[in-house]
Amino acid sequence: MRGVAPALVFFGAAGLAPLVVRDAFLLDSLVLILIWGASAAAWNVAGGYAGQISLGHSAFFGLGAYATALLATRWGLSPWLGLTVGAAVAMAIGLVIGYLSNRLRGPYFVLATIAFSQVLLIAGSRWRGFTAGSEGIPVPFRPGFWTLGIADKRIWVWIVLALAVLVWLAQLYLDRSRRGYQLVAVREDEDAALSLGVPARRLKVAAICASAALTAVCGALWAQYIGFVDPFYVFSVDLSIRFALAAIIGGLGTAFGPFLGAALITTVETSLRAHFGGIGAGLVGIYLVVYGCALIVMMRFVPQGLVGWIDDRLRRRAVARAEP
Amino acid sequence: MDAIPQLAFSTLLLGGVYALISVGLTLIFGVMRVVNFAHGEFLMLGMYLAFWAFSLLHFDPYLTLIVSLPLCFAVGWASYRAVMQPVIHASHNVQIFTTVGLSIALQNLALVAWTADARFVRTDYYAVVVRIAGAAFNVAQIVAFAVAVALTAALFAFMRWSYTGKVMRATAQDRQAAALVGIDTDRVYAVTWAVGIACVGAAGVLLAPVYPVYPTAGLQFVLIAYVAVVLGGLGDMAGALIAALVVAAVEVVGSYVIGTAWKEVLYLLLFIAVLIVRPAGLFGQRGAEALGT
Repeated sequence: MRGVAPALVFFGAAGLAPLVVRDAFLLDSLVLILIWGASAAAWNVAGGYAGQISLGHSAFFGLGAYATALLATRWGLSPWLGLTVGAAVAMAIGLVIGYLSNRLRGPYFVLATIAFSQVLLIAGSRWRGFTAGSEGIPVPFRPGFWTLGIADKRIWVWIVLALAVLVWLAQLYLDRSRRGYQLVAVREDEDAALSLGVPARRLKVAAICASAALTAVCGALWAQYIGFVDPFYVFSVDLSIRFALAAIIGGLGTAFGPFLGAALITTVETSLRAHFGGIGAGLVGIYLVVYGCALIVMMRFVPQGLVGWIDDRLRRRAVARAEP
Repeated sequence: MDAIPQLAFSTLLLGGVYALISVGLTLIFGVMRVVNFAHGEFLMLGMYLAFWAFSLLHFDPYLTLIVSLPLCFAVGWASYRAVMQPVIHASHNVQIFTTVGLSIALQNLALVAWTADARFVRTDYYAVVVRIAGAAFNVAQIVAFAVAVALTAALFAFMRWSYTGKVMRATAQDRQAAALVGIDTDRVYAVTWAVGIACVGAAGVLLAPVYPVYPTAGLQFVLIAYVAVVLGGLGDMAGALIAALVVAAVEVVGSYVIGTAWKEVLYLLLFIAVLIVRPAGLFGQRGAEALGT
């Protein structure tokens, strides 16, 4: 599972699906799986590879979403421009956070990131003059590719697939390159890595910046796809947890893990919603109870995630077969 | 200048309850080296406990403490055995996400069971206002403060003079050495977790008559507790107590000067500033944050 084959099969299937599938519900689920997968993978660049566990990544997602929404509503600019601006702002903030919180490890870093996303949540919901406050911003729909006003969900699948592949390639680079190895060394033992001359601080900051920018791009496309930006959703701790959860269930620090995790989570969520929606709407929260319990159980029995677990299984089977 | 007595008393009253939430959190961190991300959910459960006891059985929330305090302790003990014990020697990330999982599960269990409606505990004395030195308060706030201070004092006395408290402090200082001299550290962790949960559960019961009760009610208070606990130095109980008052002062004075809409930003910025400038807290040992232990 650590190889590229499963990911290529997954992306290939997702790319071909729009040619066969016509059902709007399935296509919508596929778009969401790819967006959440890309977001989780972007989180994984900092959280998994660099070991900078953040529960404030919704800040970057929200910045991307707000940048597109505000640029489109206030100045009538293209969402592609908003996406670029959002990514640049997120990167700049990632740079600041990375440098300032460089010394913080473990729970301290987690707390700092939560606090940061809460500041943005309050700014987004209270700064009425600039962000429209707590009622949120409807993103205008103007048909055309340049304005990303696309009604056809099949084209959306390809757009977000391109993003997913981009983030996956970024992770693949970390899997294969010298910098990636150095980053993992910093994660495993920062002092040992420093003593070998690895520029730990620069690498960690770079990982956070890249992760922030990619997350912002996910947020921008999400805002354009959903068509509405709600500060209490895009800056929430719940959203940050969602990114982390997908990456952890799939496998921290593996390139394909976040996509596997996101596919699993999103499928369970949409099917439970479809099942319990309407009459039993009160039971919709059940899927979050299931997530919580799943997370506890995963941490106890398979903390390495599904990708690592499947690899272990395959290896064991291979060893058992090799022995006469 | 007329506002000063009111601000001072408000700070004190608010700080008392924040202190009770914070000491539980910092105690758990000090002994177990775990940041409990589900702390707010136990606060929420305490609030619901008070609400249901009041609306179904017509029990006064403050009097139910006699029953709810041991109940919260039992819930804490059970949650330690079921959830925390298996991961107590695991890595930070595993522990962080175990408590995050617990938080998600409890919060949404409350959502499914009791819906997202905000509920209120309206006692007879809710609207009774007392005036002290030109400052006005309702009785619920004063009782909450008095009980919170009594419980916090009891916890400090317990940690200082009781045998169990001494054992807990010994484990906090050096878990290996504690195990070597025959301390059953696993049992200490269970007691610590249960005491911490009992504190925050009691704080929830005390807050119920003053604040609305809903499934995510814990979040706003627990954020304050994180600020206070880091400010005081993670694991430092006396530090957390003073820091809780500092945070309450920032909140009260901030809402007076710049309005309630932005008061959270003030203490969150204070929090980020402390994490960056002096992450070990005002009274903590320098460098503790980089060890991350």
